[in-house]
Amino acid sequence: MYAITFHHMVVGLAAGAGTLMGLCALLAWLSRYISNLESSQSTLDKASYAASILTLVAIPLAMFSGYYSVSDPAGSAILYNKFIFSGIAMGFTASYIAGRVRFGPDLWTHRALGNLQMLSALFGLTAIMILGSIGSKITLGESTLDILPFWPEFMNSIVINQWISLFLLILGISSLLFSFRIMKSIKPISDLD
Amino acid sequence: MKSRILVLSIILALLLASSSGVANPGGKGDNNRDFTCGGSCHGDPSLSSVSSADIQIDTVSTAFSGTATEISISISGMELSENNLVGIFLLGSKNGNDDNPEDHGWQIIQDPNGGTSNYVEMVSANDNPITASWVLLAPIDAGTKEIFASIHHGSIYNPNNKAFIGETDGLIVNIEPVPENYPRLKEGWVSPDERISGDSSPIIVRTVNTDSLSVLWRLSGESQSHQASVEIIQDQEWEVSLPATLGDTRIEYQIIASKGEFNNQIPWLSMGTSDPYFDGTSLGAKLQSLSFTLIILGFMLSLQAWFSPRGAKKLADNTNEVEEKFSDESSDYWSRLIPSDDNPGWLWDPIEKEWVADPNNLPGGKQ
Repeated sequence: MYAITFHHMVVGLAAGAGTLMGLCALLAWLSRYISNLESSQSTLDKASYAASILTLVAIPLAMFSGYYSVSDPAGSAILYNKFIFSGIAMGFTASYIAGRVRFGPDLWTHRALGNLQMLSALFGLTAIMILGSIGSKITLGESTLDILPFWPEFMNSIVINQWISLFLLILGISSLLFSFRIMKSIKPISDLD
Repeated sequence: MKSRILVLSIILALLLASSSGVANPGGKGDNNRDFTCGGSCHGDPSLSSVSSADIQIDTVSTAFSGTATEISISISGMELSENNLVGIFLLGSKNGNDDNPEDHGWQIIQDPNGGTSNYVEMVSANDNPITASWVLLAPIDAGTKEIFASIHHGSIYNPNNKAFIGETDGLIVNIEPVPENYPRLKEGWVSPDERISGDSSPIIVRTVNTDSLSVLWRLSGESQSHQASVEIIQDQEWEVSLPATLGDTRIEYQIIASKGEFNNQIPWLSMGTSDPYFDGTSLGAKLQSLSFTLIILGFMLSLQAWFSPRGAKKLADNTNEVEEKFSDESSDYWSRLIPSDDNPGWLWDPIEKEWVADPNNLPGGKQ
């Protein structure tokens, strides 16, 4: 009973923080091209950074509470999709935080890194929007995103065999370790000429 | 005194709990139920009231024993609650127990919602009339049988949370012995209530005394019917191929069993479409979710490394160290120089063996 109430609360937090992260990151990226936003770049960057940390905390809590809110958490494609999109949202949000920690607040001055950071935030936000839309489908039977003609069918899901999932997990850990290894030599932009 | 208060409190709590549980506004679901749920819920006159609905029950007056018979219940003129839900009973009696038609020899092949229950719940859009049809096999024993219909529902103007109940008088059906060699469905055969979306596997029909079988099908709501492919797989067992359905589609089919002069046209049956079987597991979902997180993170970190600027690290600012070094060397140098009274303004360097101009007393009195 409390899991449902807690889930509603945490989902609201995740959606709000994710939206703040996405919008502030987009504006911080635009500040490179729009002179009126230039003076706000630092504030937008900090807001987006803080929101991304809150998002990364809220999503696992939402998954945890959602898991205990239903009798069979992976019993249908629509619920299975929630797991998958939660993983995708966490991946992009964590990438956003990693980039910000690694390169510092000056990363927006670097064109390629700024683009990548903005895309991480937007993909994270998109995954959170899809999650919210799936939740709305489950509870209300409809979603505001239904108006889109190309919206994916939530009633179907790509179910990967558990062993292949385990292989993918090992692949993910390996790629992460490899990425950390090659990122050791990278310094914050403020330390570079 | 305390115990009296406790007992009174318990009684009060029970009374309050009972008043909040008078009815089931969301329905109780299709099931086999006796009249007014066996007297357990809406039988109490203080909890129910008479429905304004007009209920008509319709079927053939004579049926052959063991043959499929359709019984229709039409309901109109009711004032429903906000969810427009009506519960409809098909009954063999109104005793409050053993009221299911199956307790009186009938066998339900299909209820209006595709199942095999004597109680179904249906929704009436904008209080429009509802027609609910059951297909049953008539009792084996010849004689007269009575069939009743009953409904219950809520109402928007319902301050006392009462259930509104309507019922019909018994409709008498004469059950006559089935003619010899009369083709019919085999006792115990039940129409499948649904198929998985996209599944085109055939349905199996079992009959008695049937030489040939033909099946018509149509999609629910359509008037034009089509001929289905029928193959005999063994004696009195037929394989009927109906097209696969998707989404919420219901397919209706009518079986016509024939033998000689007899042509038994069985009422239309219907079959719903269910979602495909989902084989995902909780562990698989967690693994897949976590692997997606790590793969995306690894990929994005690699891209960040790829796009990271390749500029040289800022040179260290060693000005102070250099200045200090030069300062130390300079003080050693100047301390070894020897002033000379014979040559004012000049200092003698004994190591380099040369005269050096004194910066504090330049030759010629210059400052």
